[in-house]
Amino acid sequence: MPQMGVSVAEGTVVEWRKQRGDWVEADETICEISTDKIDTEVPSPASGRLVEVLVQVGVTVDVGTTLARISTDARPGEPHSSENHGPPAPAHAAAAAAPASPATPPSAPDPAQAPAARAAGGRASRRYSPVVQRIADEHGVDLDEVEGSGRDGRVQKKDVMAHVQARGGGGGRAQPVDEPTMHIESPYRPGAGASLGGPYVPPEGRPLSRMRQQIGEHMKRSQDTAATCTTWIEVDVSRVEIARRQLGITALPLIARCTIGALVEYPLLNAWLEGETHTVHEQVNLGIAVALGEDGLIVPVVRGAQDLAPEGLSRRIRDLARRARARQLSPDDVRGATFTITNPGQFGSMMATPVIAQPQVAILDVEAIIKRPVVVTDAFGEDAIATRPMVILGLSWDHRALDGALAARFLANIKKRVESYEA
Amino acid sequence: MPEMTYLRAISDGLRTEMRNDERVLLMGEDIGVYGGAFKVTDGFIEEFGADRVMDTPLAESGIVGTAVGAAVVGLRPVCEMQFADFVSCGFDQIINVAGKMLYRQGLPVNITVRLPSGGGFSGGPFHSQNPEAWFMHSPGLKVVAPSTAEDAKGLIIASIRDPNPVIYMEHKNLYRRVKGEVPEGTYETPFRARVAREGDDLVVITYGAMVHTALEATADLDGASIMVLDLRALVPLDEEAILNAVHHCSKVVVVDEANYTCAAGAQVSALIAERAFEDLDGPILRVASPDVPIPFSPPLEAAVLPSVERVREACRQLLEY
Repeated sequence: MPQMGVSVAEGTVVEWRKQRGDWVEADETICEISTDKIDTEVPSPASGRLVEVLVQVGVTVDVGTTLARISTDARPGEPHSSENHGPPAPAHAAAAAAPASPATPPSAPDPAQAPAARAAGGRASRRYSPVVQRIADEHGVDLDEVEGSGRDGRVQKKDVMAHVQARGGGGGRAQPVDEPTMHIESPYRPGAGASLGGPYVPPEGRPLSRMRQQIGEHMKRSQDTAATCTTWIEVDVSRVEIARRQLGITALPLIARCTIGALVEYPLLNAWLEGETHTVHEQVNLGIAVALGEDGLIVPVVRGAQDLAPEGLSRRIRDLARRARARQLSPDDVRGATFTITNPGQFGSMMATPVIAQPQVAILDVEAIIKRPVVVTDAFGEDAIATRPMVILGLSWDHRALDGALAARFLANIKKRVESYEA
Repeated sequence: MPEMTYLRAISDGLRTEMRNDERVLLMGEDIGVYGGAFKVTDGFIEEFGADRVMDTPLAESGIVGTAVGAAVVGLRPVCEMQFADFVSCGFDQIINVAGKMLYRQGLPVNITVRLPSGGGFSGGPFHSQNPEAWFMHSPGLKVVAPSTAEDAKGLIIASIRDPNPVIYMEHKNLYRRVKGEVPEGTYETPFRARVAREGDDLVVITYGAMVHTALEATADLDGASIMVLDLRALVPLDEEAILNAVHHCSKVVVVDEANYTCAAGAQVSALIAERAFEDLDGPILRVASPDVPIPFSPPLEAAVLPSVERVREACRQLLEY
């Protein structure tokens, strides 16, 4: 079970894409897993044959648990270990028979050994193509029982397939065939009118989805761990609005760029607090919350964000959001965030009190940009009322790691950068 | 959709892309006023002018070398070798200059080199060869070989747009023999294999003119169900499609019109031996031209090139195995 994130301790196997006996290439998907951070595919660490599946679908195991074994010294076509309990290979049969007639020329066989030698010889003459051996192994077929239709009675793929099919009814290791149901329930259901006046029957409850359970567990743990406070500041985004139109991008990467600048100046906000261990990061790994419709949300990470210009940030955020929605994020895409931005303002909401993603010490909430009348001072020191695009930035921060004055200075620093933005 | 010959489909693709993209220009011997040895570019000089349809000296090295330079400064030249056989005169420019430029200097070389290839009309040893494998062996080049009119147009457009040097193998024996419906306007055919006919018992893997030979040979073969896989591109080779076909059918015949040794089919066979061993129900059989020059003499040429009968015989032999 690979490590899928700093705080992830366990994962659940959702599906095996490869079965025992299958050949897998390095980096080919071997199974799918689900952790509390991400649902993802597990690439094979090596090329070889999958000889053992140790964790079944639906089972949750700790990080580091072996999921399956791959035999890397196997070769495509080589029999795999499960064949050991099949019939002995022809070569073994021949070898076993050989000592019975040591150095005896074939023209003068010991009569007593003749039948055995003939039997061994008969089997040795039957060679099977790789595909026939593989199918026989998968279905537990004794190839001695299969009639061959090829040249000199050679067993072809179609012969072994026909044998497997013919045997289907006879049991053995064949799968039972599902009986079709005799009675099919009518799909007709009386409409709501029929139950008028009847007692209210609440719909049946369903278990919460895995993703919702994981988000819930993580958020609740954060609230139980951190001393969360929220501070707001109102910011004029006129310059950002002009710049974003010039660059043809959204305001988010520009505000993110200003936030990253402030994080570099106030590294205490770009930090982790794990128990009593306080880690201040130089590199900014910026988490961006991406909504996955009704299902939940995921927070992919822009690594080394301090080195990216707004266009680069925009490209990375777009790419991560697209892959998040296509469920194609890799574990590296979601781990190691040092600070998070959440941006639900696209729906018009004004303020929120976001929950900090542990073990980070703060999260910035970017709300809707709304035009408002504000008091501005002109070059002559005269006050006037003007229409300006404004946004409220909300910072939830952990009072264990910092105090309100620092949070306010940090927000003021972002405000200064946004309001003096030069494209 | 209009029906047109393979040759007209190539012309249509070139013309469409030249109208679309001013960076596209043609270079070659007698392609302008004369309209090309096979008339692929007939009428082009009238429409696009001599600046974009350039008659060149008889110097393949100069044609390709000039095209490489034009590509480096942002144009998209399409070079015509009058016959594929003559490409050897431009070999150094293709292999050592065009193919290595991105690796050495980071400069993409967006050129397409058209190679009218193949035999079947008594053209003899200098006018009948299938030299695609030379280019497969050399990194940095792509190689495509359409078999139908629709693919001829889609692949020439895709080749022009591909940022790499692309060797476009057009089979002379298909020029006027093969007709088909060709979509109007612009479209790209992917560099992926195509199942020319579905089947279960055996797969014939081939490309170019041999797709038609394979289809004819296996149309009615003792009631067997035979798949024909048309590779369309030799570099990149569609390994997934090849391995899927082998997994499904378990018996494989690989057909090349080119000479046997180190032909494209040899690479296909090696891939199957390495990666699909467990799917095989018999030896991989190859049908190709023997390692001799292509003869002028019609009966000798017919004996050298893979025929419908030879492909049929190989399939029959493997089906009975």
